[in-house]
Amino acid sequence: MQDAITTLINSSDTQGKYLDDGSLERLQNYFRSGELRAKAAMTISANAATIVTRTTAKSLLYTDITAPGGNMYTCRRYAACVRDMDYFLRYATYAMLAGDPSILDERVLNGLRETYNSLGVPVGATVRAVQAMKEVTTEMLGAEAGKEMGLYFDHICTGLS
Amino acid sequence: MSLVTELILNADSEARYPAPKEIRIFQDFVKTGEQRIRIAKVLAENEQRIVQNGSARFWERCPNTPSNSGNERKTASCQRDQGWYVRLIAYSILAGSERPLEEIGTVGIKEMYNNLEIPIRNIAECMRCLKEEAMSLMSEEDAAEVAPYFDLIIHSLS
Repeated sequence: MQDAITTLINSSDTQGKYLDDGSLERLQNYFRSGELRAKAAMTISANAATIVTRTTAKSLLYTDITAPGGNMYTCRRYAACVRDMDYFLRYATYAMLAGDPSILDERVLNGLRETYNSLGVPVGATVRAVQAMKEVTTEMLGAEAGKEMGLYFDHICTGLS
Repeated sequence: MSLVTELILNADSEARYPAPKEIRIFQDFVKTGEQRIRIAKVLAENEQRIVQNGSARFWERCPNTPSNSGNERKTASCQRDQGWYVRLIAYSILAGSERPLEEIGTVGIKEMYNNLEIPIRNIAECMRCLKEEAMSLMSEEDAAEVAPYFDLIIHSLS
C-alpha cells in the first residue's frame, strides 16, 4: 500500500530528486490534517458497530434483499453482509488515515466485483449501502472529516461498479 | 514505507483499528511535520556543500581511497552516491521511518560496494564525515533527528 507520504517519495525517487516545492506543500497539508484524521479514526473505531447497524437500517433492512429470495435472506448471508460492511468501514478508515486509497484497491476491491457476481450479491444494493455508510459517518464526524471519509467510500463504490 | 503505512499494516494484520497507542504515535508524528519538512529542505539545499566539505574531511582522514585517487570519474561517482544517501535520509525524515533509507539504500549495500571493490571501512568513515557536516548545518534538535539515519548507514556497513 501507499500513503500520502510514500507516493510522493516514490515518485521523487524514480527521478532521483528531492521532493519539490509542490510535493512539500502537499505533505504539509497532510501533516496539518493529521489531527483531524486521528480524531476521526478514534471516533470510528469507538463506534464501528453503531455505524454498521445504522447503515444497514438505513439502506438494506426494509428492502426485498432481506426477504425470502433476497441475497441477505438467511442469517448466514445477513452476517456475511454485516461483516463486509465492517471491512469497508475499517479499510476506508485506514485509507483516510493514510490519505491514499491504494489499500482499498489492494486489499478490498481487487476481485471483489467478480466475487460478488459469482455469489449473486447485488452490486447496486452494496453501493447504496456504502453511500448510506458515508452519510451515517458524516453525521457522526462532522462535515470536514466526513468529507475526507467520503472520498474513500466513493472510491469503494467506483471500484465496485 | 512510512510510519503511517507501518502502523496501518500492523493493525490490519490483526484485523483491528489502530490502537490508542498507535494513534498517539501518529499524532506525535504529524505534529512534527513542520520540523521534518524544514530538515528535508536543509538537506536538499545543502547537499553539494555536505558532500564537498564531507569529502575534504574524509580525504584528510583517509587519503588513500578511490574518490581521492585522481581518477575524476571515480570521484564523481563516489560523490554522486554520497549525495544519494543525503537524499534518502531526507526521505526517511519525511516518512518518520528508516524504511525508505533501508529499502532503497542499505539492503545489499555491502554486497554492492564489495562488488565495486570500494573498501567498506572507507565508506563508513565517509558517512561519518557527511554526518558531521550535515549536523553542523542544523540546530541541535534537528541534528538529533538526522543523526540516527547516518548511524544506520554506518551500522549496515559494519
